[in-house]
Amino acid sequence: MTDVAYDVDDDTIAVVEDTDLPRRLKDEVYETLEAREGATVEEADELAKAVETRYLDTRVEPLDPVGTVSAQSIGEPGTQLTMNTFHYAGVAEIDVTQGLPRLIELVDARKTPDTPMMTVYLEDEYATEREKAHEVVWNIEATQILALGDVSTNVADMRVQISLNEDTLQERLITAEEVAGIIEDSLGVKTVQQGTQIEFGPEEPSYRDLLQLVEELRDITFKGIEEVSRVVIRREELETGTEEFVLYTEGSAFGDVLEIEGVDASRTTCNNIHEIHRNLGIEAAREAIIEETNNTLAEQGLDDVNVRHLMLVADMMTNRGEIESIGRHGISGSKESVLARAAFEVTVNHLLNAAIHGEVDELDGVTENVIVGKPIKLGTGDVDLRMGSTTSGSGQAD
Amino acid sequence: MVDVSQHELVPEHTVLEEEALEDVLEEYNIDRTDLPKIKRNDPALPDEAEIGDVIKIVRDSRTTDQSIVYRLVVE
Repeated sequence: MTDVAYDVDDDTIAVVEDTDLPRRLKDEVYETLEAREGATVEEADELAKAVETRYLDTRVEPLDPVGTVSAQSIGEPGTQLTMNTFHYAGVAEIDVTQGLPRLIELVDARKTPDTPMMTVYLEDEYATEREKAHEVVWNIEATQILALGDVSTNVADMRVQISLNEDTLQERLITAEEVAGIIEDSLGVKTVQQGTQIEFGPEEPSYRDLLQLVEELRDITFKGIEEVSRVVIRREELETGTEEFVLYTEGSAFGDVLEIEGVDASRTTCNNIHEIHRNLGIEAAREAIIEETNNTLAEQGLDDVNVRHLMLVADMMTNRGEIESIGRHGISGSKESVLARAAFEVTVNHLLNAAIHGEVDELDGVTENVIVGKPIKLGTGDVDLRMGSTTSGSGQAD
Repeated sequence: MVDVSQHELVPEHTVLEEEALEDVLEEYNIDRTDLPKIKRNDPALPDEAEIGDVIKIVRDSRTTDQSIVYRLVVE
């Protein structure tokens, strides 16, 4: 007997478990029965049967064009999405692309999103103590020289002089020696370091080289991850009532962040589906696509789009074990039929290439049959009916 | 290295036994190459998985309690 977390008797459980319902609906039936105290077994049976009938009724029929229905169901709300990206202060004042541009970016499977970001969760004491959380912040946020001190150029002596700020160094857990070392490694110059003062210059006295060095110096990442330009730290309440620090980043480097000490590698996510795919695999990418598309729609108040449609999109995009875009370069472009591909985009190229390679169209799909004017193999179009046919063997009428 | 399987986005992946695979293919009436694919270098793949194996994936589904899907290891 299945264990049920609701206060109903064994006979009721027996009749409900006997139905063809999925777990969630069964639980909902129990919940309803529990709320209506004193429902008899017959009533429970009637209810369960009614739910089952309704459930079986609403399932898709074989040969239903689920893809077309999904396309319509996402496309129609898509017309109501915002067209332009306002720099919208979402969580923690970080700009995130929203609405239609974001949806397009997702289904096009762009290599990098317009506004990459990560949500970084922290572990144990890193999540509860502000100082500890800040340690993680400095390990993520890219630190450039201007954040650490002042840079001045001494044109007379052809030297670049850096005066580091002691407090900032301490706060960001980096020493003047380290800074000098990083400069030597990345610029290939000899530095003279004394306390918080660092000095260096071009080998040959050259005004151009000097300016060049200053330019390059500004681009060096001394600490943190180069791709992450900003980190916002936020205190968030958990469902359990306790609070924890969560980091939101502008820019993303998912793989690098997961390795950092203090980062909770089981919850941290980013909005770049390719990075998720690379680091967590195709199943996680599928999950992320559903989550991101769903959130994009929900953000605009269009969360009544059935999640099954988004799941279908995600399933299609991840079907081959890698993320494919929906469109000419991805799913539509890899269709078997020449006519179906030609009907989508760049018609002439497809027809030309097909002619050159001598491709054959089997006319199995929908689009190609519409083009040639044959019934499509969907719904009733797939069923052949015969009346008074003869069996091929005997030649006699049945 | 980070343990990928611990991440909440990653469902459970296990290699499907050959006998169990027969049943699955019979149930759906398909060949193993008709299954969705998973790349050999996928980080969530169990270590013992080889090309040609079928991976059983148990997802926490949004529509039912759990859904079981299969992916063929390729390349």
